[in-house]
Amino acid sequence: MRNNYTFGVQSSSFRMNELKIFVVEDNELYARTSQHHLSLNPDNEVEIYMTGKDCLQNIYKRPNLIFLDYSLPDISGIEVLREITESNPEIPVVMVSGQEDVKTAVELLKEGAYDYIVKDENAHERMWNASNNIRENAELRNEIDRLREEVDIKYDFSNIKGNSPSIKKVYKLIEKAAQTNITVSITGETGTGKELVAKAIHYNSKNQKNNALVAVNIAAIPTELLESELFGHEKGAFTGAVNKRIGKFEEANGGTIFLDEIGEMDLALQAKLLRVLQEKEVTRIGSNSAVKTNARILVATHRNLADEVKNGRFREDLYYRLLGLPIELPPLRNRGNDIILMAKYFVDEFVKENEMPKVQLTPEAQKKLISYNWPGNVRELKAVLELSAVMCDSDKIQSEDITFNSSGQDLSEMLSKELTLKKYTQKIIQHFLDKYERNVVDVAKRLDIGKSTIYRMIKNNEIEI
Amino acid sequence: MSELLYNLSQLEELAGGSQEFVESMVDTFLEHTPQQVIDLRAAFDANDMDSLGKLGHKIKPNIDLFGITSLHEAIRVIEHNGKHGVNDPVLEKSLNTVETVLNETFNQLRDR
Repeated sequence: MRNNYTFGVQSSSFRMNELKIFVVEDNELYARTSQHHLSLNPDNEVEIYMTGKDCLQNIYKRPNLIFLDYSLPDISGIEVLREITESNPEIPVVMVSGQEDVKTAVELLKEGAYDYIVKDENAHERMWNASNNIRENAELRNEIDRLREEVDIKYDFSNIKGNSPSIKKVYKLIEKAAQTNITVSITGETGTGKELVAKAIHYNSKNQKNNALVAVNIAAIPTELLESELFGHEKGAFTGAVNKRIGKFEEANGGTIFLDEIGEMDLALQAKLLRVLQEKEVTRIGSNSAVKTNARILVATHRNLADEVKNGRFREDLYYRLLGLPIELPPLRNRGNDIILMAKYFVDEFVKENEMPKVQLTPEAQKKLISYNWPGNVRELKAVLELSAVMCDSDKIQSEDITFNSSGQDLSEMLSKELTLKKYTQKIIQHFLDKYERNVVDVAKRLDIGKSTIYRMIKNNEIEI
Repeated sequence: MSELLYNLSQLEELAGGSQEFVESMVDTFLEHTPQQVIDLRAAFDANDMDSLGKLGHKIKPNIDLFGITSLHEAIRVIEHNGKHGVNDPVLEKSLNTVETVLNETFNQLRDR
């Protein structure tokens, strides 16, 4: 029986301002008066139902608001209310009753009624006001639904592009991360898309995606302000603390906090962060009491945190607590054909946004992109391609349309470090191994050296595999 | 009785200037309420307090809507006493009043 009317009312199919209203009322005069009065607003579409059963059988029409008489001839109003709040909790139900009975009113509100109106001389005016309030709420809800959909699309997995084995591994890890609340540490060079991964994890997590994702870039906030930014402060806690302020951890309660550039946090604050993570509570600066926090933690850094620990710049205990599920984003230069795939995507998006004619990459241009080492990774790729789309004079991007800002500087930058030849050799071999999936045979062939040379270096821990 | 027992100003206000709607409401009122008055009396005669209370509850908002202020108290007595099963002299007096005033109101509305 119930299944007849358990229809979802996720998003209204009506135009923004239109409101479908049910008046459930067995008193015909009263019902028709309500209908007529509410219909004075042409955006209101009012339907009358004389019994509870009638109302429930028509709930699939997805009203935006129901005025429900408390004493109906068939099912009691409270029963109808229960049915509606169970099957369609998002429909606001305003109870209308002839009784001025506070106890009943409280009970109905507890059962989930949106409001309670007594049938007195002001009842119709109050119904009118209620419908206006609901209209405003419905508009806001529509807006939220729209934005949420937009966000879901925007940070859907597919926003991270690529087919290379290294990025496919990242997809898998994101999927794993989204299934639980485990802390995730995202590493990767600048511009590899650490924030995109954090968003993908958050918006694909079942538990969190409806709650806030609060992002804090540790590197962007002055050290002395960071503590109050993260943990909040009470009014008067320090000079300039004019008002009470809620910290990012509290703001993210029930959702996700994303601490970007965590490697930049100074040691004193690291100790405090560790405490927050251990106790799962924050204490606002200047406050004596702690507030529970239940935020999911995502961190990112372009640094190698293990090295930072070794060098005493990052607390070891905090490192292990934050490590959780590590996701390492591959640098763009190691992603082979992904470079072309993304290059085409960025060009297409750019010309679409700017209403320019479609352009294509010539094979020479593609070759130039593949052989560059992309120190700025995807962010740089996007900038370079957008510039080349502007610079090209035909429907084809030629290799001379592509200019790299750091072009040529890399070798000299590398040489300026004045390492030993042995060190340079190690670096070159390491680079190739990273790029070609640790395939020693392949790398030896490409560099025209013996496999045993590489194996010996691996054995001596001169390179990592 | 030449004094008007009803006042349509609230109904007219709710109608938002639609005289047609007011007329239709008056017609509906005249169509259903006389029978309800007969039912009220029958319930009282049968000592069916529950039905009496429910009928009173149903008629009450219409009396308010049509501005029949002289029955404001009486209809509430019927509703309340019926609900709680209190058959006392006040109830009978209230029922008599409701009957008389409503029947006269029907005449006045028809002769409008």
